[in-house]
Formats: sequence, C-alpha cells, structure tokens
Amino acid sequence: MNRGNRILLSCVYWAFVLYVFVPLILMILMGFKDSKFIGFPIKSWTLDWYTGIFADAEILSTLGYSAAIAVLATLISVAVGTWIAVLLEGRKFWGRTAIFGMTVLPALVPGIISAIAFRIYARYLGIEPGMGAIVWAHAVHNVPFVVLVVMARLSTLPKSQLEAARDLGADPIIAFLRITLPYLVPAILGASIFCLLLSFDDFVRSFFLGGYEPTLPVLIFAKLKSGMSPEINAIATVALVLTAAIGIWAERFTRRMNKDTKA
Amino acid sequence: MSNEAASRATQDVDAHTRVGRTFWGRLSNWSPYRALMGLVTASPRRQFLILAIFPLLWVLTQHLGPMLQMVRVSLTDAYPVAPGVEQHFTLDNYARFFGDQIFWQPFFRTLIFAGGFTFCTLILTYPVAYFLARHVSRKNQMLFLLLLLIPFWVGEIVRTYAIMILLGNTGALNLVLQSLGLIDRPIPFMYTSFSMGVGIVYLTALYMLLPLYSALEKLPRSYNEAAADLGAGAWTRFRRVTLPLTIEGISSGCTLVFLISTGFYATPVLLGGPSTTTFAETIAGFFHVAGDEWPTGAAFATIMFFAALVLTAVFQKLMNALRKGDTK
Repeated sequence: MNRGNRILLSCVYWAFVLYVFVPLILMILMGFKDSKFIGFPIKSWTLDWYTGIFADAEILSTLGYSAAIAVLATLISVAVGTWIAVLLEGRKFWGRTAIFGMTVLPALVPGIISAIAFRIYARYLGIEPGMGAIVWAHAVHNVPFVVLVVMARLSTLPKSQLEAARDLGADPIIAFLRITLPYLVPAILGASIFCLLLSFDDFVRSFFLGGYEPTLPVLIFAKLKSGMSPEINAIATVALVLTAAIGIWAERFTRRMNKDTKA
Repeated sequence: MSNEAASRATQDVDAHTRVGRTFWGRLSNWSPYRALMGLVTASPRRQFLILAIFPLLWVLTQHLGPMLQMVRVSLTDAYPVAPGVEQHFTLDNYARFFGDQIFWQPFFRTLIFAGGFTFCTLILTYPVAYFLARHVSRKNQMLFLLLLLIPFWVGEIVRTYAIMILLGNTGALNLVLQSLGLIDRPIPFMYTSFSMGVGIVYLTALYMLLPLYSALEKLPRSYNEAAADLGAGAWTRFRRVTLPLTIEGISSGCTLVFLISTGFYATPVLLGGPSTTTFAETIAGFFHVAGDEWPTGAAFATIMFFAALVLTAVFQKLMNALRKGDTK
C-alpha cells in the first residue's frame, strides 16, 4: 500500500513538472514557426524571427535598458538591505518588531497596490516617470528579500569570531569589514542574483513608473496587446534563457560557496 | 623553554610591525579615522544610534511613506493639486466605491477568485510537496526541487504568454483534444475565468510549494510510524498527524499566494475577458487617464489593501486556532 502511494505521488510530481514545463516549451517552439500566425500545428520552421530581433535596435536597447535598471536597483537593495539586516539580527531593542514589520512591508503589498503607491510617491518626491523612478521602485521593493536572506546567514555567524577581532583591537567598522562582511558574501551574492531576476522580470512597477522607453516585460506586454506573433516568442525566449541561465548558475554557485564555508 | 618564549616575543613584534604596514593597520592608525571612530564608539548608545538611524529613516520614508501618501491622497478631492486650487479633504472617493456596481463587483470578484485560486494551488501542490519531502532521498531532494524552480525564474509576462499559447483556439490543448477526437471544434478557453485561473495558479504555485515543502520536511517521519503502530490507517495518519502539523506551512503559503494573486494586473488583462475584470484593472484605469482621477484610484487601492490584510489576518487566526485545537 505504501508502495502504491509512492507510485501515485511520483506520478503527481511528474505531472506537475510537465505542467510547469510544457507551456514554456510550447512557447519556445512557437518562436521557430515559419508563419505569422500563432497556433498549432507547426508545419515549417525558421530562424528568421531570431535574426530579426537581433537586428532590431529597439529590442536590443530595451534589453540593455532592463539590464541597467536591474543592476542599479540591485546595488541599492543590497547595500540598504545588508545594513538593515545587521541592525535587526541578534539585537533586542525597543521598536525592533515595528522596524522589522516595516522592512518586510513592500514584499507583502500586492503588486498593483505597490505600483500605485510608488507612482503616487514618485510624484510627491518629484521623480519623473522613467529610469530613475523604476530603479527606485525596484530597489525599495527588493530590500525585504535581501534583509531576510542576509539575516538568515548572519544568525549563523559564530559570535566568538567578532569577539576575537574586538579583543585584538579591531573597531566595529573594521570588525564588520573584515569578519562579518566576508562571512556574508554567499548570502549577499545569492540575494543579488535574486534581486536582479526580480527586477529584470518585474512588469507592474516598470509599467506604472516607466516613461516612454519600455523595459523588456513592458515591451512584450505592449506587443502582445497589439497581437500575437512568433516575434514575441523569440523575444520572450531570449528573456527566458537569460533569466533561467542566471538562476541556475546562481543556484550552483551559492551552493558551492555554502559548502566551502561549512568545510 | 626560554627559547620558545623569545621566538614568540619576536613573532609578536613582527605581527605589530606588520599591522602597521597593512591597509587595515594603516587605516586604524590614520588620525582622522581614529578621531571619527572615537566619536562613533564614545558610548554603546551612540554607536547603536549611528547604526540604527539610516535603516529607521529608510523604512519610514521608503517603505511606509508610499503607503501613507497613498492613503492621504485617497482622502483629498484633487491630486496633483492644480495651482490656485485649494485642496480639500473628503471621503467622497470611498463613497464612490459603494455607489456603483461596476466598482464593487470587480472587488468581490477579485477576492473570491483569489481565494478560489489559492485553494486550487494548495490542492495541486500539497501532494507534490509531500512527495518531495517524504519519498525522495535527501540527496536528490534539492535536484527535484531545482527542476521545479527553473520555470519560476522566468518572468510573469513570459509565463502568462506561455499560457495564452497553451489555451488559445489554435493552441496546444485544443489541438490535442481535437486529434484525440474528444471535441469537434476548439473550446474557447481563453478570456474566461478558467484561463485566468490556470495562469494565476501557474504563476503562484511555487510560493505555495516552498512553505509546504519546508513544513513537511521538518516533520519527523517517526510521528507517522508511531501513529501506524497504534493502528491508524493511511487516511487517519494524514488527517490526524501530517495535516495538523503542517498547518503553519499551509497558512503561510496560502497567505502569500492570496496576497500575490490579488495584486496581478497583466495576467487578468491578457488572459481574462470582459466578464472577469479584476479590481486591479479597475484601479489601473484611474491612472491611465488624466491625473484628476488619482484620488479615487488611491482610495480603491487602499480599500483593496486593507481588505486583503484583514482577510489574511482572519485566516491566520483561524488556522492558529485550528492548530491549537488539534494538538490539544
């Protein structure tokens, strides 16, 4: 009976794997269809859509624009998030719960409400819609994820190391830079990759805070609203390959780093 | 003995001169830096304040600020204020919500849909999480989990588009059904609550799977074995042992998925139809037109935020009560 259960459950698992992969595989296949019309069956194949998008200056500049936004937003999130994590981890003080609550707030606000709130606040601060506004919104939205990841790592830092550094005469800043920060590197790298992907894939904030220049998801959305075409599949596939490759690489990289520091 | 002591002493001297030569040593001997550190570390209290002041200002102005400003704008009659016009505080924007069916209908639809989709996600992912935590060897668990993680790194828009291709009239699903001879002409899956549900479950499944997996993984297998020894059948074991002890995972997974699914904007626009307009689309509508509709949009977003918060808080209280009742 236990065996039957096991087989049934493994079928459920593999069915779930199919459910998550099949739509994406179909989408990738459709990018090679030699016809303007989206739909099955695919009778002849072509690479024209890909050569088309790599020759399209607008699409390439959108790709660069999205990447630049993701990198800038990630740098801000990581710096701020690490600072907040150092304050919150392992310290007890009045108002800690309130600060922690406010820290995770942006991650809990549903997407559309977060976008609207940022849009209104950007107007209030005098930030024009465009790159600056998107970078700011992404940075704020991603801070909670950095804080949580860094706090988790920080909680495993042996206290004795910091005490030893202080005993040897290191002041708090040097102790932070030479003991705490190197210890946090795997967490910071992991959080950075996560932020990069969140920012690169974000639609709703980029859509409401963007100016005339679209980010990649906003461009795909705009093209989709005016009609499906294999060109969109090719663009989406490029975005998919980029994000999945970065994700897989980061997963392996952080695992290896965690193993190294444990050994 | 004395030799050893002497060599240790020379080592110490060496170490000291080396400290003087390294970057860090030079930095800590640099007088402006020392003066600064003297100021910073004068007392533990001051040191703490210097550490705390930036995070405190950041979360107040950047995390809480946008939400407070949204609430404030929702209480005004005009935003942004045109020059020469006086801004008044009013509750009209909230009254507007209750006054018109085209506003509150999408609101309740969104909450009901989000609740329903959350339940579907739970039913769909629980067996998957159970399989991962219980029937896969520890060595392979990460691999099996990673396989599911890969598609979730792909963005919202790309995955929504993938669902459009799957469900379209000339999509893969209709093609398969037709070639199997189950249907004569394509079923219009798209632009219905069905297509929207498939899309939203597809986008949120991971946020349910991970909390469930970590709750199930923490649960010792011996509990189940003990229950089996006491004569409990598979169903009883699941209902009386596994389920109550994973309520925390269920509760946090459902909360996350519910909050995320109420906030989707692009997915209902692309996958839904006129009969499935969500509140996110209603809210967004106020921001596409000229600025004078912003206060209404802000009021609606505020209503939605508090409704979602209250519902998830009630849900978590319920789940907590359930857990306490069951483990007694």
